[in-house]
Amino acid sequence: MRSLRVNLHALTGAYAVDAIDDESERARFEHHVRRCHDCTAELRGMADTATRLAFAATQPAPPELRDRVLAAVSRTRQLPPNVERSRQTEAGRAAARRPPVAWRPRVAWLVAAASVIAVIALTVALIQTRGQLDKTRARQARIAAVLAAPDARAVSQPTSAGGTATVVYSRSHRALVVTSARLPPTPPGKVYELWLLGPPKVRPAGFLRPARNGRSVPVLVPGLLHGDQLGLTVEPAGGTPKPTTPPILVLPLGA
Amino acid sequence: MRPARSGSGLPEGKDRDLDGLLALVARGDETAFASMYDQLSGPVYGLIRRVVRDPAQSEEVAQEVMLEVWRAATRFDPAKGSAATWVLTIAHRRAVDRVRSAAAAAEREKRTSVLLSAGDEVAEAVEASLERERVRRCLDGLTDLQRQSITLAYYGGHSYREVAGLLGLTLGTIKTRIRDGLIRLRDCMGVT
Repeated sequence: MRSLRVNLHALTGAYAVDAIDDESERARFEHHVRRCHDCTAELRGMADTATRLAFAATQPAPPELRDRVLAAVSRTRQLPPNVERSRQTEAGRAAARRPPVAWRPRVAWLVAAASVIAVIALTVALIQTRGQLDKTRARQARIAAVLAAPDARAVSQPTSAGGTATVVYSRSHRALVVTSARLPPTPPGKVYELWLLGPPKVRPAGFLRPARNGRSVPVLVPGLLHGDQLGLTVEPAGGTPKPTTPPILVLPLGA
Repeated sequence: MRPARSGSGLPEGKDRDLDGLLALVARGDETAFASMYDQLSGPVYGLIRRVVRDPAQSEEVAQEVMLEVWRAATRFDPAKGSAATWVLTIAHRRAVDRVRSAAAAAEREKRTSVLLSAGDEVAEAVEASLERERVRRCLDGLTDLQRQSITLAYYGGHSYREVAGLLGLTLGTIKTRIRDGLIRLRDCMGVT
């Protein structure tokens, strides 16, 4: 644990010069930074240092660029200010602790993915504190491994029955973790069944059980193959070997 | 020796001027935007040229950046950093995005040989202003490895993985050299 943190911390320099090209690595670093006061100060100093490097590279811009930019400005609407953030003091402070991160459009996605991963991790942690059996622990360790995989990707999609399914998948682990929020309760005698919809064939992938708080218990699905999509259907209790109803969700899992 | 400075350590007052201008820009002031453009277009365009190289593409990226500055000025938070750093962070990010796109992959290969001598290039390109002189002195104060790593990453737009490949060193070494080097530069430049 400790060495992982030290490792992440060593990335401040690379982060400040946009030299981290692995999105999940960047997401993990940003997650670390949010809880690391030293990092924020260090990153700020580094960003300012980079600015000096930029000034040292100054070259006069082509004169016609000025006219084009000013013309474009006169017909471009500005973004609405981020009022919400400055109103919430707590969130504001968290944001202030963050480096230039929040300015970057692409980070929005990463933050979303990171928060999804955080929610799943939290759910996992909650279950763990309830003190379950070794078998459950082993399953959770595998879930944690998928969530922490360097190539983990998160995707979310609403289902046609309502609510949202979220998947974190890792090609290197050939596995995915599924959870859902606000999925309506199934009719009596029915269950939500997951499927891996592959070009070779459709395989049952377990059941999604909505929990009382509106979030389902994370399900680990092993055996992910290239080209698989994730499907979700409503089936008779006990499940079926093949889907018998139209899917309420088909989630493509990109490369 | 070095005067006490705050923020990015740009010439006295410049930081504050730019922060003030950006606040006006956030309220839709186009004249303030034009003044800001005049102060920052050189560094923005110069930086993008260093990373992207192709003049036509650089101009496109610079235009995108400037327009982004106009659009997002409403969301600039001075508590997080100076206006100059905000603008140049956007510029660097966009330039890097441009060279890292798949289409640019081949082009990047071609540039590799040029980039390997980027350390010397900095010294050559940097001569005119006092600011450049200062930065050059500070770059000279780094070890060769620190200087090459930072130059390849920042001016070259390479990821630290690519830098490790180019210099034939481990990822851990490159990460550390970029960080050490930036800290040393920061101290040398008097950035607070």
